[in-house]
Amino acid sequence: MDKADTAFILASAGLVLLMTPGLALFYGGMVRDKNVLGTIMQSLFMIALISIEWVYLGYSMSFGPDVGGVIGDLSWFGLKGVTGSPSPDYATTIPQTVFMVYQCMFAVITPALITGAFAERVRFVPFLVFSVLWAVLVYNPVCHWVWGKGGWLGRLGVLDFAGGLVVHLTCGAAALAGVLVLGARKGFGRVSFMPHNLPMTVLGTGLLWFGWFGFNGGSALAADEIAATAFVATHFAGMTGMLAWVVMEWVVRGKATTLGAASGAVSGLATITPAAGFVGPNSAIMIGAIAGIVCYLAVSMKGRIGFDDSLDVVGIHGVGGVIGTLCLGIFASTQVNPGGVDGLLAGSSAQLGKQALGVAVVGGYAFIVSWLLFKVVHAVLGMRLSDEAEAQGMDLTEHSETAYNN
Amino acid sequence: MELNTGDTAFMLIATALVMFMTPGLALFYGGLVRSKNVLATIMQSFFCLGIVSLIWVVYGYSLAFGPDVGNVIGNLDFVFLNNVSWETGTGRTIPDILFCAFQLMFAIITPALITGAFAERMKFSAYLLFISAWVTLVYFPVCHWVWGGGWLADMGALDFAGGTVIHINSGAAALVCAIVIGKRRGYGRDAIHPNNLPMTVLGAAILWIGWFGFNAGSALTAGPIAALALMTTQLAAGVGALGWVLAEWKIQGRPTTLGAASGAVAGLVAITPGCGFVTPVWAVVIGGVAGVLCYLGIILKTKIGYDDALDVVAVHGLGGLWGALATGIFASVGAKGLLYGNPHQLTVQAIGAGAAIFYSVVVTFVILKVIDAIVGLRVDSEGEQQGLDVVEHSEVGYSI
Repeated sequence: MDKADTAFILASAGLVLLMTPGLALFYGGMVRDKNVLGTIMQSLFMIALISIEWVYLGYSMSFGPDVGGVIGDLSWFGLKGVTGSPSPDYATTIPQTVFMVYQCMFAVITPALITGAFAERVRFVPFLVFSVLWAVLVYNPVCHWVWGKGGWLGRLGVLDFAGGLVVHLTCGAAALAGVLVLGARKGFGRVSFMPHNLPMTVLGTGLLWFGWFGFNGGSALAADEIAATAFVATHFAGMTGMLAWVVMEWVVRGKATTLGAASGAVSGLATITPAAGFVGPNSAIMIGAIAGIVCYLAVSMKGRIGFDDSLDVVGIHGVGGVIGTLCLGIFASTQVNPGGVDGLLAGSSAQLGKQALGVAVVGGYAFIVSWLLFKVVHAVLGMRLSDEAEAQGMDLTEHSETAYNN
Repeated sequence: MELNTGDTAFMLIATALVMFMTPGLALFYGGLVRSKNVLATIMQSFFCLGIVSLIWVVYGYSLAFGPDVGNVIGNLDFVFLNNVSWETGTGRTIPDILFCAFQLMFAIITPALITGAFAERMKFSAYLLFISAWVTLVYFPVCHWVWGGGWLADMGALDFAGGTVIHINSGAAALVCAIVIGKRRGYGRDAIHPNNLPMTVLGAAILWIGWFGFNAGSALTAGPIAALALMTTQLAAGVGALGWVLAEWKIQGRPTTLGAASGAVAGLVAITPGCGFVTPVWAVVIGGVAGVLCYLGIILKTKIGYDDALDVVAVHGLGGLWGALATGIFASVGAKGLLYGNPHQLTVQAIGAGAAIFYSVVVTFVILKVIDAIVGLRVDSEGEQQGLDVVEHSEVGYSI
């Protein structure tokens, strides 16, 4: 056991936890003022809901003893056997409880990320039902395939440092399914939906960026050179993501916006996530720039296709997750991480194929299962607000609150 | 040296904390302006995360911390972070690349601090040019002089976490900015009220927590000096708030939230250069004096009549200057100041501060004049009336 590693992962878990309230504010600022609390609640409440799921199902399904490469069994139900002594298989220098709670924070934020796609139009209770089922049927299996000992994608050599596949692609694919099943907000394309509080969105961005150091740096699971590499790659990708996005919109639309800076930073951060511990700083800079440009184009296309992905989850997390996972296969270098792999630029094309397989499998699986889940929950419980409630705003109709009473 | 996982863990977290200060500063400043300028003000801090990081990679780190050339600047060995490895370097127990990232966060927030001086009236394009030129011509050299093995370091100037490099430097530049760019329309005639003080308090709180990473992290190792720096930081901040609030209560008749937030920042600024050199008792004195002194600085500003919109000169300039001198007076841990029988230290501190002020004032002035000639510094009068958010960014902060 290493006390320094333990201190680092404890602090990192705190940082990753803080990302979920950060996300709540990031999303909350972008909706209309009548929906700010409903939107915040959909992120914030995941801390409670998914943490419970994690204790009884999630941790065991994701990291428990492997069954056929596809799922962990339930022998760690209720954290049975998960103690202060290190696990022999994961993060062997820190207490397993610390690893467990660190991973819990990832499970919490992933379904929260999806909520941006269907913001301002979904009922609270059906949403909760969907989220728990999604965690069980999508997050836990994919997490096991990629990170669980014996998981089949991991065994094939598919790499994901901190969650490009497990977190960003799963939530992006689910977001796409949600938009397709649930449809657009009333008036979408006819009236413009103005963000009601952009300073709040910037606050959320700051919290996310800060927390992302724990997310990516902490994924080294030790306070070592790899953690430093991942930390630095994270910052630089956030930096170029922001710059590239803002330059794009400046060129295309004539103005650099605050919302563009915030979105661009998040696109860079999301995209570097799978590659963070495998690439050097200059590669991270390239990856962030690619992210800012491609995600900007993806988000601008949304309007033309007519998808109401309200807060751009598909364009940022889905697209970012795909690009980042593939970029790992291009930019990875064993000079940076001796325990990692060489990518295309280091003369090896094999990893890129594996990464593409990971994208196809995870993207396809997450999309199909999420689509079915949305269909089923929508059919049984009705996920959409009534027209009247949507007009009134979900803060009042779903939570009997109003955010601002000046 | 061998990598120490404890030090590395500590510095990873400290670096994240210092990064967090820049969004914190964006909110601190954003709350203080009028609502028509809130996003532009936020953007001027937040965007430093992008622009300065890029410059740092390309040549900034090399100029600041590259092998010394003539005691004034680093050479170009570290351009594009060449030769900066993820192994530990000489004399440090953390990866080189982590030290580079930690120092980057300081380079980001320093120019962001200046933006408070020209809030509510500068063009975004002029801002980008200014930030790029200023970090290149002012921050990197001064940083090298003090921390990169330059002439101030050789002279023995003490600056634990950036009193001279960050606060005096940005405060002096802020004074020049306020004067060269000129007053906001209606300054002194119309009341200009902060749009969102709770946001400013949130920003102050983020700055305060981030400052633990800033000051304690500057020990570069998780040991007794880091603990001392953390404690002195906390005391100076708390007493700084106290000093400011008592002073304004006495002079203006009411204690204000804004005063508490500003006073805390003033205390934090003042303890920055000395936090690892002074004992907790002297930290209380340093913070308390800073609170009162910086408050008086603002009164002085109103008398003189320059429009340092968000009081960068009074808080960072004056607070930093006091902190640098106070370090020369009260230092007793790892160095000796005036009170501990070494008056020479105070002289050295004064020379360091004077050099930074002089250099920053002159170069900032030239940079501003050149940019004014190329693209113009200010938005036009109509744009200023409408607000920078709409004119410069096509956005509005609040639709509530």
